[in-house]
Amino acid sequence: MIQPYHLTKQEKQEKLLKSLTELTDYHMENSAPYRAMIDKSGGFNQPSLLEDIPYLPVQLFKLMELKSVESEKVVKVLTSSGTTGQQVSKIYLDKETAAAQTKVLVDVMKPILGAKRMPMIILDTKSVLKDRRSFSARGAGILGFSTFGRKHFYALNDDMTIDWQGIEQFLAQHTGSKILLFGFTFMVWKYVYQEAVKSGQTFDFGDSVLIHGGGWKKLQDEAVSADTFKEELHRQLGIRRVHNYYGMVEQVGSIFVECSYGHLHTPSYADIMIRDPITFQPLPQGQQGLIQVMSELPKSYPGHSLLTEDLGTILGEDDCLCGWKGKYFSVSGRIPKAELRGCSDTFAFDRKGR
Amino acid sequence: MKLFWPKTIGWKEELEKLRQRPVLPPFHPDVLSFTQALSKRLIKFRQEPELVSLGYWLRKAHIHEMKEAWQADTLDRVVKARGTAFHIAPSNVDTIFVYSWMLSLLAGNRNIIRISAKEQPQTNRLLSPVLELLQDPAFSAVAERTVLCTYDHNDAVTAYLSAYCHTRVVWGGDETVKKVRSISLAPMANELVFPDRFSLAVLNAKAVLGTQGEEKSRFSQQFYNDSFWFDQMACSSPRVVIWIGEKEEIEAAQNEFWTDLQKVIQQKEYELMAATQVQKFATSLWLASEPEATHVIRTNEYSRVGVDQVTADVRERHCGAGLFYEYSASELQEAASILTDKDQTLAYFGFSKQELIAFADCISTRGIDRIVPVGQALEFSGTWDGQNFLRSFMREIVVIG
Repeated sequence: MIQPYHLTKQEKQEKLLKSLTELTDYHMENSAPYRAMIDKSGGFNQPSLLEDIPYLPVQLFKLMELKSVESEKVVKVLTSSGTTGQQVSKIYLDKETAAAQTKVLVDVMKPILGAKRMPMIILDTKSVLKDRRSFSARGAGILGFSTFGRKHFYALNDDMTIDWQGIEQFLAQHTGSKILLFGFTFMVWKYVYQEAVKSGQTFDFGDSVLIHGGGWKKLQDEAVSADTFKEELHRQLGIRRVHNYYGMVEQVGSIFVECSYGHLHTPSYADIMIRDPITFQPLPQGQQGLIQVMSELPKSYPGHSLLTEDLGTILGEDDCLCGWKGKYFSVSGRIPKAELRGCSDTFAFDRKGR
Repeated sequence: MKLFWPKTIGWKEELEKLRQRPVLPPFHPDVLSFTQALSKRLIKFRQEPELVSLGYWLRKAHIHEMKEAWQADTLDRVVKARGTAFHIAPSNVDTIFVYSWMLSLLAGNRNIIRISAKEQPQTNRLLSPVLELLQDPAFSAVAERTVLCTYDHNDAVTAYLSAYCHTRVVWGGDETVKKVRSISLAPMANELVFPDRFSLAVLNAKAVLGTQGEEKSRFSQQFYNDSFWFDQMACSSPRVVIWIGEKEEIEAAQNEFWTDLQKVIQQKEYELMAATQVQKFATSLWLASEPEATHVIRTNEYSRVGVDQVTADVRERHCGAGLFYEYSASELQEAASILTDKDQTLAYFGFSKQELIAFADCISTRGIDRIVPVGQALEFSGTWDGQNFLRSFMREIVVIG
């Protein structure tokens, strides 16, 4: 069996129900605001089903600080990537949770990348990593995935232009070995692929595998599908294998990576559920709804069960042709933003409501 | 700068021409016929209740009523229009620009109205009927005293118009008011501002329990209109429900009230959206983490947060779309203590006028400018936020004979 995609439905349910119940109790003991939220909205009774585990909306981490450890114990603060002016989530990690995060990432990627470190090209700038204690989602992603590679080369200059010459040199130095590429979906598309098209660069990255994540929203706006993305990267840049992953800073441990069939998979310590976007009732396999993510990892903050604003569909469980067990699913984007009318600000100067 | 009316490009030349036009006497016959023509057009928009109520507000009988009240008020006094009024209208509630402009026009002023830069004649349901009427030669007296424009974030234009006008009217909330107030106004000009406000409802538990049949269902419908018409985002829509009565009475009344309201929301097929459902959920949990929140009850249609205090912070966090804070008191007078400067409308059910007047006397803050029956929270009136438009749009010449 391929770990961590080895547990069957029954085994996984039992394990997660137990650990997530314990985590809920733990966070109620250790985070007064979390306890108040649960107690005041009906309390927490020993659940018999995973769907009965309370969940917090991801948005809540943008509104308030939530942690279950003393401030002195925090070793790392993760922040979500937000556009300017937007509030960002702050996620507080202690030593234990940070270490668990690193370990899990290795486990999840191993079936795809193997145990051996590959020469690695990061399709981003080195400047994202400036502040080592406070990581943006981009920085955290790069740092996390860096452990799978060696001789890291950052392909983008600080002004986001691409260093073709540097890439060529790097590839020449490593002919014959497998190359690991890592980047954020939109940046790979815009600053690497589209630049290559514009400047007429056809490239051969050789025996390479690209891991990318960060969301499809911007590419969806440009009507680029996952298939087009893969085909084009292969055609223009000779990238042989492409694996997308889905995850969010707000929940450590929830890294869902695509198998060889292009399905996102849940590893043994995390799971997802799909809920109706209006009533939040659980939906059966095959129906699209809001993605709820659950993970055994978050111990330093109450983020073990979160309702996202992403829409997804569970495609199946334990029966993906790739052989991995667990639920597999697809993500189809974000719920549209609400534009409520009202008498609030409009002139100063038409900023809101746009 | 883009001019919708008049249809020229040189706005500064237009302003020079505008300056030359004499003001009109209050309630000028040409103005009255313009308001009637606009009223007739707006009443036809049956699918859009806000336009219909604006049309209804502009109907002949209502304007006549206003005129008579004004005449009685100004008997034997010399009262004239101020000159040129500069209106900065909000974009979200598009009917506001018409209310503001019409009241100023009835006063006899020349008007410059800046509407949101987002608006286009093709997309604005109000702009096209207005422009059609302005083109009609019958309304030239109004047309030549009107400038309808839009411009992007531009302090220089606002400064120019502020130095030019005799009255500045600023709609659009705290940020806009702060921003525009930092731009100096002509020394002789006066100003009306409309910052962010907050509104509440006060319900007599005994009266709610005593309501039966048709009256009961009408009451829930009216509360629905007040709250959900603008997704609870209008300044006048109730966000707090204050219950008055004994503990048991209140509980019983709450059960009936919220069950009935839920049915109305379902019957009206009020559109619930995923984004607002998630936002409501997040906001109610966020509030629950605070000491002043006692409990949270969520349904698909609304979320109720019980509170023992309504702090400024709690007010700021309100997200609209069916989130209600509930506060209980045994006497109406007690509720006065939770009111703040920001509070605008109190929609009531089950209290007499005497009780309400006594209550208004107990309010020690700047709060509350309107106390109206449930169902009338959104009704526009010529006195808003404590200011009488016609009076503010005119000036009195004291003549001692």
